[in-house]
Amino acid sequence: MPERYVRSVGAYLPLLRLERKAASAALSWSGLGGPRTGRRSVAGWDEDALTLAVEAARLAMGDESVRGVVFASTSAPFRERLQAGIIIDALGLPADTDAADIAGSRRCGVSALRLALRDRAGSVLIAAGERRPSAPGNSLQLAWGDGGASAVVGDTGRAKLIAEATINLDLVDVYASEDHPLPYQTEERFIREGAIDRVFLPAIAAALKKAKLRPNDIALAAVQEPVAGVYKAVAAKLGLKAPNLCDRIGEAAGDLGAAHALFGLALALEEAAVGDRILLAGFGSGCDVVILEVTSGSAGPGPATKALAQGTALSNYARFLSLGGSLDLDWGPRSEVDQKTSPSVLARHGRDMHGFVGGRDNRGNVQFPKTPIPVSPAAKGPEDLQDVRLADVPARVVSVTADRLNFTPDPPFYFGLVQFENGARVSMEFRDVEGAVPKVGDSLRMRFRVKSIDRKRGFRTYFWKAAPIERPLLEKS
Amino acid sequence: MASGIRDRVVIAGMGCTEFGERWDTGPEALMVEAFEEALADAGIERKQIEAAWLGSALDDVNIGNSAIPLSTALRLQNISVTRVENMCATGTEALRGAVYAVAAGACDVALALGVEKLKDTGYGGLPPRTKGLANDLWMPYGSAPGAFAQLAGAYSARHGVKAEDLKRAMAHVSWKSHQNGALNPKAHLRKPVSMETILGAPMIADPLGLFDCCGVSDGAACAIVTTPDIARGLGKNNSVAIKAIQINVSSGWESQYGEWDGSYVRNTREASKRAYKEAGVTDPRSQIDMTEVHDCFSVTELVTMEDLGLSDEGRAPFDILDGKYDSGGKLPCQIDGGLKCFGHPIGASGLRMAYEVYNQLLGRAGERQRGKVDFGLTHNLGGAPANSLCAVSILGRLER
Repeated sequence: MPERYVRSVGAYLPLLRLERKAASAALSWSGLGGPRTGRRSVAGWDEDALTLAVEAARLAMGDESVRGVVFASTSAPFRERLQAGIIIDALGLPADTDAADIAGSRRCGVSALRLALRDRAGSVLIAAGERRPSAPGNSLQLAWGDGGASAVVGDTGRAKLIAEATINLDLVDVYASEDHPLPYQTEERFIREGAIDRVFLPAIAAALKKAKLRPNDIALAAVQEPVAGVYKAVAAKLGLKAPNLCDRIGEAAGDLGAAHALFGLALALEEAAVGDRILLAGFGSGCDVVILEVTSGSAGPGPATKALAQGTALSNYARFLSLGGSLDLDWGPRSEVDQKTSPSVLARHGRDMHGFVGGRDNRGNVQFPKTPIPVSPAAKGPEDLQDVRLADVPARVVSVTADRLNFTPDPPFYFGLVQFENGARVSMEFRDVEGAVPKVGDSLRMRFRVKSIDRKRGFRTYFWKAAPIERPLLEKS
Repeated sequence: MASGIRDRVVIAGMGCTEFGERWDTGPEALMVEAFEEALADAGIERKQIEAAWLGSALDDVNIGNSAIPLSTALRLQNISVTRVENMCATGTEALRGAVYAVAAGACDVALALGVEKLKDTGYGGLPPRTKGLANDLWMPYGSAPGAFAQLAGAYSARHGVKAEDLKRAMAHVSWKSHQNGALNPKAHLRKPVSMETILGAPMIADPLGLFDCCGVSDGAACAIVTTPDIARGLGKNNSVAIKAIQINVSSGWESQYGEWDGSYVRNTREASKRAYKEAGVTDPRSQIDMTEVHDCFSVTELVTMEDLGLSDEGRAPFDILDGKYDSGGKLPCQIDGGLKCFGHPIGASGLRMAYEVYNQLLGRAGERQRGKVDFGLTHNLGGAPANSLCAVSILGRLER
């Protein structure tokens, strides 16, 4: 029987982190709120479950090639429009790559990983992203965070599958439904007891038994808890000694839903030594458990550790509510612009837009977008341009401004001209700028983002935006 | 070999409405107001007009598509009427159409009228564009001040001009124009503004503050053009002639291809080079007496002074601060108050600029008259610096 491995992982958080104490202070008069310590990651207006999954997937993919992509989320922006297909475009993968979206509970990220590990069918990317809507005052709004995580599974790699197990139980700790789109939460004490005794204990015990391991053979855990303290109780009952790395995510960013345990796996692989066993568990209507054995050592702290440490603290509660859609500000007539997208235009250009694909002409010049007659003044007529992906090409600022007139849901609107190292130049929106306007010559990186939201028709388009190359550290050392 | 249009067409008459928040005036009335003034100035009958060009830029703001709004507003009977649109150069584009028709001998008398009714949008600034087209899938939705503000940082980076020096020079551009506009009864904004107020104004798009930006307004302007012979027949012995009209349009070089550093506008350089040649201007700094340029934003006027060859590269901020372009300076710019004081009803602006040059050439500019004027230049810049179009026209005395 061929062995199955996790080949690589990725973890991504949006730039902003709400200071929970600032939110608690704003809500103190009401007695509502939720957790008061640590921070909650906050998606920009143009980030959703799909864009967060794409950014995490880029980190895992590197030079990997996969035969399939699974998008896992409980907050996918579309119910009918295949988002795994957009991920395939965004990563520049072939159009005949297998694609599937999965949902149903926040355990779906680990479910997809477990199935891909069990299934003996080549390399698969699992990309999870979550940006769950929630109501102000509900403790989940501060306990949850926005983010993405990913893993590539294949027949060789960094961590080998030792055992897996699953258990299904309709234990409704939280639900969101057609009729109640915002989460509705059950009493915590009831959930704690059910999750410990009827979900985690039997599932983890079954996986350990299959693996022929004792609990203290586990070096690191990435267990998604429905409420705090569950893992501690499970560990005490089973004799597990491994720290749960998901605690760090909860403190620095919040529960990331479908991406949470996978993010924990990314942290674990950055810390693990060869031979370490990692316990991975995703929770929601039961749980999926995977035990992995690390087969190649880590190069030290990587993107997941960095994602937790870097960002910009946010203490403006009103801005947080507005970004999350909980505060519907009247932005005035300039915001009334119609963002209707023509499906035929999208069908013609979508792959180039999602993949940031420009073209190289017969003289070697690279341009975006592609045009029948190349932009080069030396072009004599129509040419077939060769595809050139710009998403990962180094770039710098030619010109930029912070526009305070134009409508954007998170002013000001930064935009300017971007020069790519390969010669292409593109007018672009700049994101993840907090504070000073970028300067001419500054280095930039590309981020996959929502381009426009057509609120009238519930549609959105995606494109790439330029962002500063580095993020600041949240804690100054 | 084409010889150009120099001195082949003259202006028989011009008209210009008062620009501003014309809440009680519709586009038809604006067109009529500008037209009746031009007709009276030309001393012709309306039936002598054989062809007309309407310039309006924003088809969804009250004017409407096609040439029909002009022919119905002026009740033009059984002549060819054409609507043109070329962003902020729309007014000059309409003039170019009428001038070319007369120069070609297709007709003897032609009308160019530009109009825009922007204040009915109900908000400041220009309407955001969206059509659901391919560009909307990737192009950033920036505002006009946002697009032009980018000239500033790029200019500073190229010429090593400190941001605060550039800010002061830009403020002087606006200060000077508001001084001039205060003398113009047709201007929208007619109050001088202090440097302190300009420098302390709220930021619109870094580093452009409120007074670095022109407003929007309602207005119309109009020219009736004809041949030199017909003008003489009308008793006009001191006619203002069209010396040149040139337009240059981006091909994508700046935004998609070139080594362009974002600090200047290539289309202004190319259009003015061709216009000087067409007009026979060999040394613009000594031959041009006044300019009306596209001061949509102060930084645009600043770089335009270099792009027109009137300041050395990297020196425009200092020429501006030295007063070279003030109304009493060596080469006054925006002697009528410019876009800063007129606002920018897009279709009308190019013709409004020509109206001031025309009156200065005829010595009819009243308090604003700049002695004897022999050559005046107008300049419009549409789009964004990275993807723009530029119109340059030169007016002067008829020389044959």
